[in-house]
Amino acid sequence: MKILIIEDEKGLSESISDYLTKEGFVCEVASNYWEAEEKVNLYYYECVVVDLMLPGGDGYDIVGMLKKIAVTTGIIIISARNALEDKIKGLELGSDDYLTKPFHLSELNARIKSLIRRRHFGGNTEITYHEIRVQTQSRKVFVKEEETPLSRKEYDLLLYFLSNVDVALTKSSIAEHLWGDNIDTVDSLDIVYSHIKNLRRKLLEKGSTDYIQSIYGIGYKFGTP
Amino acid sequence: MKLLTKASGIYLLFLLSLYLITALAFYWITRVVIYDEVESRLQVEKRDFEAYIQLHQAWSSSCYFVENKIEVIPVTFKEPITEMYKDTLIYNRYEDQDDPFRQITFYTKIGNADYKVSIRKSLIQTYKLIEVITFVMVTFLSLLLILMYWFQRRLSGNLWKPFYNTLSKIKQFDLTSVTPIDLKKEEVDEFDELNQVLKRMAEKMQHDYRSLKEFTENASHEIQTPLALINVRVEQLLQSSSLSQQQTYWIDEIYQASRRMSRLHQGLLLLTKIENHQFRDAEEVNLTDLARNKVLDFEEFLVMRQLTVDVDLKEPFLVNISPALADSLVNNLLSNAIKYSKPEGILRIFTHARQLCIYNSGEPLKNDPEKLFDRFKKDSDGSESLGLGLAIVKQICENYQLQLQYTYSYGMHCFCVSAPVSELS
Repeated sequence: MKILIIEDEKGLSESISDYLTKEGFVCEVASNYWEAEEKVNLYYYECVVVDLMLPGGDGYDIVGMLKKIAVTTGIIIISARNALEDKIKGLELGSDDYLTKPFHLSELNARIKSLIRRRHFGGNTEITYHEIRVQTQSRKVFVKEEETPLSRKEYDLLLYFLSNVDVALTKSSIAEHLWGDNIDTVDSLDIVYSHIKNLRRKLLEKGSTDYIQSIYGIGYKFGTP
Repeated sequence: MKLLTKASGIYLLFLLSLYLITALAFYWITRVVIYDEVESRLQVEKRDFEAYIQLHQAWSSSCYFVENKIEVIPVTFKEPITEMYKDTLIYNRYEDQDDPFRQITFYTKIGNADYKVSIRKSLIQTYKLIEVITFVMVTFLSLLLILMYWFQRRLSGNLWKPFYNTLSKIKQFDLTSVTPIDLKKEEVDEFDELNQVLKRMAEKMQHDYRSLKEFTENASHEIQTPLALINVRVEQLLQSSSLSQQQTYWIDEIYQASRRMSRLHQGLLLLTKIENHQFRDAEEVNLTDLARNKVLDFEEFLVMRQLTVDVDLKEPFLVNISPALADSLVNNLLSNAIKYSKPEGILRIFTHARQLCIYNSGEPLKNDPEKLFDRFKKDSDGSESLGLGLAIVKQICENYQLQLQYTYSYGMHCFCVSAPVSELS
């Protein structure tokens, strides 16, 4: 699956492309408007990650262009502009998501995956990791084919883990994924701990292996121990 | 009071007093002139009378003086006056009324006896004259006055017209719009100068506003991008398995610092934008609904802190405000209340038609409550807190004329947001 990253900050686009390549995507990078325009017109991408302020032009124009020539391409805007009107403008033009800089790579990854799921399978898809199976349409989780009821946040947390298998996730990235920017004024790190504790307990009760490992001082990692 | 009304008022008052003084002076001068005339004629007749007495040594009232009435009364006692003018009324038997006369009185000897002699001259004609003069004068002066007043009003109205035009243009002027203020060239130098000055000021203001807006946007981009880079690089670094515990600790510290800086930057940026009135999308927002939804958003935090929550959100509290700022307002107040309430404490939220109040239990403030809303003023040492939340709340309230109150009683901190005072009436 091909992804185009349109971002003029070299280090940033490099990091994104490294991260997504590890996740199994094929990544291409464009660092200015003309390059992006050319690539978008020449090739088909599953998903395009586009920065709004580009040398040579405006990211909004790329979004408009994409909407005309490749309707099925998913579009995620990444921008430092966090004004509500910018977000609304982006979404109205036809982008699927809007991520404010600075963001977590794991967050971008989770959103790309969720976007592709929605685009490809109309949201009706299953994610399987060993004995854990998630039906994303009905938001149901099965462990060893036995239904495991999870709270809304626990489900989101599990999905976030499944989108970032074998990746060290920081507590703050988890908190921001679950509660968004709004909650960062409240001490949210303890609550991450309590949600992880509950999720782990519920999965273990149904006989799952303990995939959630805590990394000292940083956060957690989901993966085969 | 309008400038024109005031100017006309003063002008009218001035004209009236001038009119009154002129009229009185005119009347008085005419009178003096006429009296002078009558009196000199009386003097002539006095001399005639004395000549007659000298010649005849007696007085017969055979009326030699047709126009005058001469009264000669014998007196024994002579008052210490030799000559005196006086106004008097004499009965007119033909018209059955008293007529005004001017009279000169003097004492003289006829033969050996003393007589008091009064010679009178009718003032009917002169009174008529004064009346006519007064009438003519009043009529013409009034007409003049009215005309001058009318002319002055018209003239001033026309003269000040450009001023009123400019005033209404300034009232309509929108700082945030791109269109420059539309002030035409005026004939009157002063008004033209005023317009030029205003035009320059307006342009400068618009320019400053735009550059400030651009600056905040660019600053946002230029600062957030490197922060984003730091973040992703740190995240990548965290993925490598060969880190020692010490290194992990350092990396985490860098990571937290950069997140904190980014949040701080966003907070300051938001404050600047609110201060600059860059949120112009005001609409009617129901803060009660908003508070209800926010409580749901924060549910896990409430449970986590084991807070007893008492929510009374029945009456809708409608405020005309930008939705994004309304969200920020309620969010900051609520998260503030949760953050500073003790575990197992109490959180109480209620609204009525004009107010939203959020209470939380906690120790009294160590600092001055006035400083609570200042930037970077924190009452506790929690390094997680940026100290911007309440400053943002205050700024939002100021922008929309909402009243923000903090009180502490019975171990409860209370923040209340009330509807603008202007709406109370």
